[in-house]
Amino acid sequence: MTGEERMEPLERLLNLVGLLLETSTPLTFEQIRDTLDAYRADKVDSAKRMFERDKDQLREFGIPLRLVDTDVWGTEQGYIIPKDEYYLPEVAFTPEELGALLVAAQSGGENTRAEQAARKLLYGADGGVLAGLAGGPLASGSDARSALVLECADAAQRRRRVGFGYRTSQGEHGRRTVDAFAMVFRGGHWYLVGRDDDRDDVRAFRLSRFTGDVEDLGAGAAPPDGFRAADHVQAGAWTAAGEDHALISFSPAVAWWAVGSFAGAREDHAEPDGWVVVDVPMADVTSLASLVLQFGPDAVVRSPDLLRDEIVRRLEAVGG
Amino acid sequence: MAERRRASPPRTADRLGRMLVIVPYLVRHPGSSLGDVAALFDVKPEQLRRDLDLLFMSGLPPYGPGDLIDVEVDEDDHIWITMADHFSRPLRLSRSEALALTLRSAELLATPGLPEAPALAGALRKLREALGPETAGSDDAIATAEAGRPAEHLEHLRRAAREHERITIEYFAGSTGAWSTRDVEPEEVFSAMGNWYVAAWDAGADDERLFRADRIRTVTRTGFRFEPRGLEGAGRALFTPTGDEVPVRLRLAPDARWVAEYYVVEDPAELDGGWLEVTLPTARMEWVAALLLRLGDAAEVIAPIEAREAVAELARRTLAHYR
Repeated sequence: MTGEERMEPLERLLNLVGLLLETSTPLTFEQIRDTLDAYRADKVDSAKRMFERDKDQLREFGIPLRLVDTDVWGTEQGYIIPKDEYYLPEVAFTPEELGALLVAAQSGGENTRAEQAARKLLYGADGGVLAGLAGGPLASGSDARSALVLECADAAQRRRRVGFGYRTSQGEHGRRTVDAFAMVFRGGHWYLVGRDDDRDDVRAFRLSRFTGDVEDLGAGAAPPDGFRAADHVQAGAWTAAGEDHALISFSPAVAWWAVGSFAGAREDHAEPDGWVVVDVPMADVTSLASLVLQFGPDAVVRSPDLLRDEIVRRLEAVGG
Repeated sequence: MAERRRASPPRTADRLGRMLVIVPYLVRHPGSSLGDVAALFDVKPEQLRRDLDLLFMSGLPPYGPGDLIDVEVDEDDHIWITMADHFSRPLRLSRSEALALTLRSAELLATPGLPEAPALAGALRKLREALGPETAGSDDAIATAEAGRPAEHLEHLRRAAREHERITIEYFAGSTGAWSTRDVEPEEVFSAMGNWYVAAWDAGADDERLFRADRIRTVTRTGFRFEPRGLEGAGRALFTPTGDEVPVRLRLAPDARWVAEYYVVEDPAELDGGWLEVTLPTARMEWVAALLLRLGDAAEVIAPIEAREAVAELARRTLAHYR
């Protein structure tokens, strides 16, 4: 303990990292003790224990502290931090890119791992990083536990096969076995996209519908040629645009909002009374009718008759 | 300040982590100001000064005066470091760090209208190339799909939140279908469920409010600076009950189960055939009536009777436009 009183642990650790980074040959504990005062002050046993603790702490921190043979005969082993494993490769980022990375890293609130990652990259800044932050902070969140997101993303990156409990959007519960291909973020939800074993097809699974833990089942298959993860995450019915078009009038109160609410919608013309006629792409009569009905008396379908009739039928069913 | 810190001294691991990223920055950017560096790395200036004080006790063998890291903080608080070449580049990103950063970036990129999107996408590409697949993973494993509508005034809202400037907004309330003009003090801009939101103090209502950024039609600056109240932003519930809500009990068909995922519901009960029964706390009956019109056959009202009447009434008013 006396060694720690004499020297701050931080100083000792920095010296140890520097020593093992700069050494050309692996150093035994005895050689390290001979070089660094911090380990010389105590009895060998307690110095060795202190060194073991320091070593663990550095490794826990992700520092590649290796124990290797000191010579080709393997008679003795020593410690070294290989430079190529320690140092971050040179990456030249623009201030805008670093600013964007920092905004992203800080968007999670509690996720310090992403922040730590972004800060490691700042050294390569070409000056003026603070200027790159001019946009102001943003925050984002998903509806899934961050531990589950990390676990599934890791599985997708390493192309693992995973098993998990899943409740479908239709409420059916069951166990799935999936070759993880990719993660897709859409509309505030994370999806795991992969080959579903039972269905023998690529499916997307929303993480917020997972039940229980994810089980690693070993190496998984690779995605098929031309695989594009985002294609497998369906847009909600309310964003589906189609070939056909409908003309819908919206009251002055909701018109501005309504035009932006329908994918591909554009204003056709405004009536003298302030109502706005909007051209809306239509993929499916039933789902478009549902969306229009949500506006109540503030939306009236002009054409086609097919959509008009569907609306009237549904209104009569409840309003008679 | 010092008293508060004494209770829990900064952990050595935290300080080490900080030094291993700050020192490379200082080596590459000689003469950086202490305040800027402290802000950039989110550390208190006095803590950074204490960390730097320790730094020049360390160095390389044989640890003579010429082998130690030399740190100088001049009278203008500019920092100069020499003899620290072995720390001129930071430690590699670990797999989990690279993954965490990539996931965070994907969440932001998926929300429409982010001005930094091109820079962020470019930065991620460079990072993946530099780290290689063993650290950064397969380059197609994390993807985004844009959904929702962009918020026109995102940048104005962010600037107001950053500079603590009160603004006047024209807002369309989705639940009432009404426009209002409000003086608000935005504290945080965040994305949730694929949309941008603003957590703000509503000066007129003298209360906290949550605004969907894409429903803000205009933003006008006032020049008035406000004192932030520390309002809750990302991660908060998008709906805060006031206690005045009417509980509406609904039976949802499989096609309408999204309601239970999208809105705050209580007491869910699974029924046969994938149906789900939930209670939806409702502040305005007209709002739930509009939702039920949309759902049609896919939802049934169990209680109260007022909800059923509200749907019928709304249907009759709508139907009048078609006759």
